[in-house]
Amino acid sequence: MEINGFLHPAVAFIALAMALPFFRGEHWKWLLLVPPVIAIVVVFTATMGEFGVIPYLGNTLILGRVDKLSLVFANVFAIQSLIGMIYALHMKDRAHHASAALYVAGSFGCVFAGDYLTLFIFWELMAVASTFLVWLHRTKTSSAAGYRYFLFHMLGGLFLLGGLLLRYHEIGTFAFLPVDPSSVQYYDWLILIGFCVNAAVVPLHAWLPDAYPEATIPGAVFMCAFTTKTAVYVLARGFSGVYILAVAGTFMAVYGVLYASMENNARRILSYHIVSQVGYMVAGIGIGTALCLNGAIAHAYAHILYKGFLFMSVGTILYAVGTADLDKLGGLVGKLPWLVILYMVGAVSISGMPFFNGFISKTMTITGAAESHNTLIAVGLEIAAVGTFLSVGIKLPYFAFFNKPAKTGLKLNPIPKNMYVAMAISAILCFAQGVYPQMLYSLLPFPVEYTPYTPWHLLQSAMLLAFTGAGFWIMRKIIVPHHGRNLDFDKLYRLIGNAGISLVCRPIAWADSVWTTVYRVVGLKGLMDFAAGSSWFDRKGIDTVVDGTAYTVRDIGRTGAKMQTGRLQDYLGLTVFIALCIFGLVWYLG
Amino acid sequence: MQEVAYPVLTTLVLFPLLAAFGLFFFRGDSAVRIYTLIVSVIELMLALPLFTHFKLDSAEFQFVERMDWVKHWGIEYYLGTDGISFLMIILTIAVLPLCVLCSWSYIKTRVKEFHFCLLFMTAACVGVFTALDLVLFYVFWEAMLVPMYLLIAVWGGPEKRYASLKFFLYTLAGSALLLVAIVAFRVVGGTFAIPELMEKTFTFGFQFWAFLALALAFAIKVPMFPFHTWLPAAHVQAPTAGSVILASVLLKMGTYGFLRFNLPLTPAATEYFAPFMIALSIASIIYGGAVALGQNDIKKIIAYSSVSHMGFVTLGIFLLNFRGLEGALFQMLNHGIVTGGLFMMIGAIYERSHSRDIFDNLGLGKYMPAYMGFWGLFALSSFGFPGTNSFVGEMLVFVGAFEYSPWVGAAIVPGAMIAAAYMLRVSLKLAWGRPTSWNGWKDLNLREWTFLAIPAVFVFYIGLAPGLTFRVMDASLEKLQNHVHTKAQLVSIEDGNPMEMAWDSIKNIVK
Repeated sequence: MEINGFLHPAVAFIALAMALPFFRGEHWKWLLLVPPVIAIVVVFTATMGEFGVIPYLGNTLILGRVDKLSLVFANVFAIQSLIGMIYALHMKDRAHHASAALYVAGSFGCVFAGDYLTLFIFWELMAVASTFLVWLHRTKTSSAAGYRYFLFHMLGGLFLLGGLLLRYHEIGTFAFLPVDPSSVQYYDWLILIGFCVNAAVVPLHAWLPDAYPEATIPGAVFMCAFTTKTAVYVLARGFSGVYILAVAGTFMAVYGVLYASMENNARRILSYHIVSQVGYMVAGIGIGTALCLNGAIAHAYAHILYKGFLFMSVGTILYAVGTADLDKLGGLVGKLPWLVILYMVGAVSISGMPFFNGFISKTMTITGAAESHNTLIAVGLEIAAVGTFLSVGIKLPYFAFFNKPAKTGLKLNPIPKNMYVAMAISAILCFAQGVYPQMLYSLLPFPVEYTPYTPWHLLQSAMLLAFTGAGFWIMRKIIVPHHGRNLDFDKLYRLIGNAGISLVCRPIAWADSVWTTVYRVVGLKGLMDFAAGSSWFDRKGIDTVVDGTAYTVRDIGRTGAKMQTGRLQDYLGLTVFIALCIFGLVWYLG
Repeated sequence: MQEVAYPVLTTLVLFPLLAAFGLFFFRGDSAVRIYTLIVSVIELMLALPLFTHFKLDSAEFQFVERMDWVKHWGIEYYLGTDGISFLMIILTIAVLPLCVLCSWSYIKTRVKEFHFCLLFMTAACVGVFTALDLVLFYVFWEAMLVPMYLLIAVWGGPEKRYASLKFFLYTLAGSALLLVAIVAFRVVGGTFAIPELMEKTFTFGFQFWAFLALALAFAIKVPMFPFHTWLPAAHVQAPTAGSVILASVLLKMGTYGFLRFNLPLTPAATEYFAPFMIALSIASIIYGGAVALGQNDIKKIIAYSSVSHMGFVTLGIFLLNFRGLEGALFQMLNHGIVTGGLFMMIGAIYERSHSRDIFDNLGLGKYMPAYMGFWGLFALSSFGFPGTNSFVGEMLVFVGAFEYSPWVGAAIVPGAMIAAAYMLRVSLKLAWGRPTSWNGWKDLNLREWTFLAIPAVFVFYIGLAPGLTFRVMDASLEKLQNHVHTKAQLVSIEDGNPMEMAWDSIKNIVK
């Protein structure tokens, strides 16, 4: 479906998902790379404008709103979808590939949606498809986590739906346009809550560290890139300058690293870092100046690359060793040297080391916050940066790769080449963007007047990294990771859920089971008895009458035929008999 | 007024007949089968001009062919079609290749004669739906009895003698009265041509008796409760193709008769008897469903479900409102598609298990997924699941019923629920019961896929895009409805009490 010269990338991914069940043989896996390549071509050749405008029930649905803001997100989505597909290339589970394709299609749909209705449809597609990425890990914990994830996103979706319908009721349009920060209406708040669920804004974030560590290995790579960043996109599109987001974002940034520093499971550490890193973006959007917005978007771009990369590296550890718990890992540097090098590229990127892409984007937001006199926010974000380097840059690799010698007799799963290829692509991109910031800056919606490589910025980050490193070395014996989950908001959600079940659902279920028994004993049995009775009546009642008539006619005919004996005396005798009968009848009646 | 250069309807009637005689020149069973299949496909292609030249917005008879047959008595060879019969003709012709395909391995004896019967049957059925002359109609009506009788009596199950004779006697009893009515129309109306009779206005006394005579013939054919007991017997004993034709085409003749004769020719009596017919229809719906629920023979379940479904059709007809009529015609078409499909499925499983008992065919979902997939589709459609074709028809009848009276609407709700009950009961057992008899049966082969996929396509097509079907029927039905209402006003009910009048006329005859 080419719509006026713009091929919607979602179409290619949906087509792939539809076609997957019919693929046979060995070589179908190469077809997985086709939609991402198409998407990359599309985003690099697209022209600005509105495409796929569909009149619907007196409104217009816009499937393809192509402008600078949507293109920059589509750009990184396309690249990351290619990397993700390469990373997942060795998998034979077609359902997984189909879910991933639908999930990516959903995020492209959201990014290009020009109205809330289209947005909502693709939003829900993402939620459903990503749930399968969790479930398809096929462990007991992943089933439960996927279920919680799904419920949470349905809740967020309901807020969004309620908000957009109320908004339609009030102003009569579905058009997805920026909100005026000075007059945010109640329906806008509802929509904002829906968006915040997907952006993992604290305290609506707990689904993220709950579900991502339970997802499949490539599934987590996809999920860390698309869900929160789609939410960042819609926030940037609709709610830039809403100041509460700046506060919430800073809180997220600190909160996320705090938990990340305490965590034991490597994938959960990274998940908490998503909360933290998305916090930078949300804060930038909340401040809403051109520099901050640019910073938020640039950070989203960079973050997709390096966070996907980190999830790939940790996923590779999980794939090779079978666990991502730090207390069970250690000494892998000798076994997987290339993986260690690759991981460190991702780790320094996220920490904002100069010459890597985290540096050129993260400092932009912080500088933006400082320049717009939001000093507290800038300080908060700096603190978060310290924590980031501490947990991902030092703690995670230290305990995973260096801490103690590897267990004797440790058997490693052979790592497929495609995983290394995918990670290498990410590493190159992280480094290239760090060295040539214009690669990223030229994509941003506002003109960039920011130079990352000034002596002050370099000194600032060098100091930060050095002191963090020194601090860690002193503290390394104390912050040994422990097994177990840290208390977070998800406990509260579960408490509410369980209380609801025991106070409301259980009593209703009890009443219902009583009613079911009544229904079964009285209703169903009555129905079946009625059916049996009708069948009996059909056989014995109606059929007896009908067949009886036929048999009677036949028997009369037979009797008549028997009487045709041909003997004259029989006929005479019969005639006399009948005549007497008639005479008797007439005599009796008369 | 010929739309196409050659007489399409005559061709459709005569071609299978002539082709049937061509069968005598073939030897070998597969040659006969392939020949009949080709003939059936050609017959379908011959119907193409109907599609291309049928005027959707016209309520008049189209493709009319008219000439004298027996001039002395005013009998004519008079064919034509309108929005009411068009779909039935197509259904009849489309069912033929499916019947050939589903009998491919089912019929092993007297193959040539079997296919002769099929072709003869098709000719007669197309004739019934196109005839516009009463005598011609009667000829076709009776002609189709013979091959159907043979189909059951020769290729039927163990009780074929009983079932075939029952079918024959029942229908004959009905058609005797039909003949009486036809003669009466000639005597009073002066012509056998239906379009001309429609213009005439008959006295209420005449309409009263004519309606009853016609209605009995058609009610037996539908069949309506309590004239239905020939149907399960015939269905259970008939070979698969026989059941398919019986369900898809023959039953429709009864309801078609109502639409073509009772409503336009005896409108005042129709309005008078409508409540009574509605009551009978509701009884059919609920009674047929209840009996279906009590069966263990799959074929009997579907047979009784036909009684129930055809009850929806007669109900729609006698509601005498537009939605009801639309729903009735829709349901005729849908029942033909879905029940035909279900009977073909029963034939397919019977070829494997040699039993039609539910408990000999348990738990097939795991071993025959394609089979159960099709079964599930047809079963869902059978009880009117949204998105399938039957939903459209049933919904329209429901709308019509509630328009007529909320009580009537409320009365058929249990019927729809009971339909779900019996279909789900058999479907659940077939799909998920504990397998008792499964013995390496293969899933559907290509031939079975073919004859099941065709109705399945129409289940979805009509279910999801019913627009075209509506356009075919709407003009004619609108005209029919207006006709009934205006004509019914012309005749005042004599003496206030029709029942008294009827009793008087019986006494006059006895004297």
